[in-house]
Amino acid sequence: MKVTGRCHCGQISFEAEIDPTQVRVCHCTDCQHLTGTAFRTNVASLPGSFVLKSGTPKIYIKTAESGNQRAHAFCPDCGTPLYAAAPGPNPTSVGLRVGTLDRRAELRPARQGWCRSALPWSMDLTDVARFERQLQ
Amino acid sequence: MKVTGRCHCGQISFEAEIDPGHVALWHCVDCQRLTGTAFATFVVARREDFRLVIGTPKLYVKVGDSGNGSAQAFCENCGSRLWASAAVAEPGSYRLRVGTLDQRAELLPARQYWFRSALPWTSDLPCGERVERQ
Repeated sequence: MKVTGRCHCGQISFEAEIDPTQVRVCHCTDCQHLTGTAFRTNVASLPGSFVLKSGTPKIYIKTAESGNQRAHAFCPDCGTPLYAAAPGPNPTSVGLRVGTLDRRAELRPARQGWCRSALPWSMDLTDVARFERQLQ
Repeated sequence: MKVTGRCHCGQISFEAEIDPGHVALWHCVDCQRLTGTAFATFVVARREDFRLVIGTPKLYVKVGDSGNGSAQAFCENCGSRLWASAAVAEPGSYRLRVGTLDQRAELLPARQYWFRSALPWTSDLPCGERVERQ
């Protein structure tokens, strides 16, 4: 499936091919900090399919508990998180942030990682009051 | 309730007094884009109850459908989303991003805003396989 994505201010855009059955939620504490919310939602680009169409993201190298490093790309102007990849030039595949994809509503996660650090409420929001817009 | 927060790289930290009854999820399309995930989670702190302890965030001003500007603060080094406020010199309050708060596991949302644009899978997340690690 082809997807297109962009940051909020529009400076950075990209496209890729993905497998829509491989969408994942990540509940690790790093993802909570970096997104400022409960979890991240990612989908890997198929090898060789990711194309940066415009802009130059800022890269933040994050070192995990395991010692693994990931290059996290975000827009230096609006701060939108874009993707993560192995550090170094021309990674084979990148983990796209699903919220930046135009077709995100079609991308239902199939797996959740790091459930041991999941915020307890994030698994079931059915009882949280819903409003179509925002209350003032 | 006192809360402490920081970005991932630690360059920016802050503290505030908040009402834990006022945690809300925001499903608007801007929040989806700006977090890169399904929704944002906010809790409000009044200006007098908020203190930036170290660092200087970068601000991005977003103009909503209403025409009102909202200043989105993030760390320019690691990109962590920090808070949002009215785009004025002295905003009356700050909406802190709950994922950056050390007390986030205790902060249960009471409301979901902009539910009309919620991603359809968010209400019942136990979809498919769960793994304790990656």
